[in-house]
Amino acid sequence: MKEFELFFGPNHPGMHGNFSVHLRVDGDTVVKAKPVPGFLHRGFEKLMERRLWIQNLALIPRICVPEPDINEMVYAMAVEKIAGIEVPEKAHWIRTLILELGRIAAHLFSIGGIGGATGLYTFPYWATADRDSVLDIFEHISGARIYHMYIIIGGVRKDLPEGIDSLIRETMDYLESRIPEYIDLVMKNRIIQTRLRGKLVLTREMCEEMCITGVGLRATGVDYDIRKYDPYAAYEWVDFDIPVGEDGDAFTRGYLKLLEIQQSIRIIRQVLDKMPKKGPVNVKLPGNALKWRIPPGEAYAHVESSRGEYGYYVVSTGETTPYRVHVRGASYPQGLYGIEKYLPGTRIEDVPLWLGTMDVCPPEIDR
Amino acid sequence: MKILESAAVIITGIVFGLFLLGVQRKLVARVQRRYGPPIWQQFIDVAKLFSKSSISHGFVFDMGVMMALGGTIATLLFVPIGKLQVLSMSGDFIVVVYLMAVASLGMAMSAVNSGNPNASIGVMRALTQMFGYELPYLMVMMGMMFAYRTSSILGMAQVQQGGILNWNLFRVPIGAIVVFISMFGISGKKPFDTPIAPAEIASGPMVEYSGKFLGSLTLMHALVIFVDISIFVNVFLGGASNYWFFLLKVLAVFSLMVLISSVIPRFRVEQVVTFSWKWPLFFAVIQSVILVAMGVR
Repeated sequence: MKEFELFFGPNHPGMHGNFSVHLRVDGDTVVKAKPVPGFLHRGFEKLMERRLWIQNLALIPRICVPEPDINEMVYAMAVEKIAGIEVPEKAHWIRTLILELGRIAAHLFSIGGIGGATGLYTFPYWATADRDSVLDIFEHISGARIYHMYIIIGGVRKDLPEGIDSLIRETMDYLESRIPEYIDLVMKNRIIQTRLRGKLVLTREMCEEMCITGVGLRATGVDYDIRKYDPYAAYEWVDFDIPVGEDGDAFTRGYLKLLEIQQSIRIIRQVLDKMPKKGPVNVKLPGNALKWRIPPGEAYAHVESSRGEYGYYVVSTGETTPYRVHVRGASYPQGLYGIEKYLPGTRIEDVPLWLGTMDVCPPEIDR
Repeated sequence: MKILESAAVIITGIVFGLFLLGVQRKLVARVQRRYGPPIWQQFIDVAKLFSKSSISHGFVFDMGVMMALGGTIATLLFVPIGKLQVLSMSGDFIVVVYLMAVASLGMAMSAVNSGNPNASIGVMRALTQMFGYELPYLMVMMGMMFAYRTSSILGMAQVQQGGILNWNLFRVPIGAIVVFISMFGISGKKPFDTPIAPAEIASGPMVEYSGKFLGSLTLMHALVIFVDISIFVNVFLGGASNYWFFLLKVLAVFSLMVLISSVIPRFRVEQVVTFSWKWPLFFAVIQSVILVAMGVR
């Protein structure tokens, strides 16, 4: 059959984000796939070298739109490590709360994408509407819905507002009641199962070869989660399980995300129960913040984002600005190497599912 | 007189077809927990599209659109709407099936000529899945024509008179379900919307149409839905003696289709054919054997 060249993105309904995949297709089968990043390049890493340590806090959330808080968290962790700042206990609890709320929002967004790719448009609308209830909490806490800039070096920007406790608990009860409906609508759907089960399989060897972490790795049976392996914030004080799958296919990845939402709800309830009611939420930086210098040194900090291990490598030479910041995007491997190497042989229908279930996030590639 | 009747039928088809699309948008929005656009939004959209300039990709591209719209309007004239039927003859069901294919082929011809690979893949998928749903549909219909000794749609509607239990829905229940499933394919509803899968091939055949062409094709889509469901209402739901009652039946069947399709994802193209040739065709064969061997009770 005649081969076509198909431009899957950047202007394509199945593509989320400013990213493109050039496909050569033979009928419906992909023969060759070439990822084309660069539509979003703002040079985050370079921009960070030109900004003060605290100015960067306004820049870095932009690296990941669906889940911006991990950027603030991991940057703050790296800088605190170099500068030797001790974070107050209450700030750890609030950070955990924020990160888990962000994880729920990001997971709802990304499993909604499965519905978009398979034509079940009811699901993205439901998921996005439920994500909005989480964004409402963020608005109450930080004043912003998407880019919160709430986690800062040395703690969090301000204490939680009065009465947020009951709002969060209500929202969590609501989200928990929605999960069985998602399972009925999507996961038990026969067509979804035939379209996702056994498709786009990531084996453990492939994950090790490309350094894929997160849900992609956990779907193959490895219970690797940085929240357990290298606990940060308040994760060692709360009790939660790591959902693990076996098949490594697209269906397992989608299902694991739903289970992780349940675990996040569990963590958030524990945080609300165990969090100290009083106490400082940040440490004051010494001297004038605009002239603040941190001692020379370098540090790597990593957290578990909704897509896998997310890390910042920060180098300081004692200046008012960072010398170098490197961003390890969690979806970098599956978004570039994975597409180029493992997409050929699949079908056009599988391309949006690859991007959806692997959470390919273009800003992490274009950083 | 015939001209007036034709005008009435065509206006009914266009207005009610667009109204159905508006109902669809509203119903789907409610399932998706949204408010949805106003019910007349589709009229505004089509009026806007016809007021815009449009880009042509050559003579065949233009002609295909006209063929698709013309073929559908010609089909509409054969469909009895209540007592209103412009063109009727003894074998009009066969003519309708033939003309519906003309509409699909016109669309395919035009879309391929646009030179966009998305359109080519979409047309390929559309023609592939036609094999899937048309076969069980025609098998049931042929069986019914044999059993009733008529191939006229109006004739089929007339034999069901005298109460709800005389409807073919209850006399030929398996066949009714098979035709109902096939109707999802003919009107391009999920799970049979593989040809226009936006996430995969960016709306497939529709990708290069703009302005008046897109407006014509929206009208065509509205008319295809109307014709398709009208045939179902006439053949299985006893038709209607009253114009308004007929439209009410069409609306009811369409709403049921929309509600079902709003919670179903899309098939892959080979799944359409394997599904259609497994279950609907199986039941269509059983129903045809029953019809041929025992007739209609």
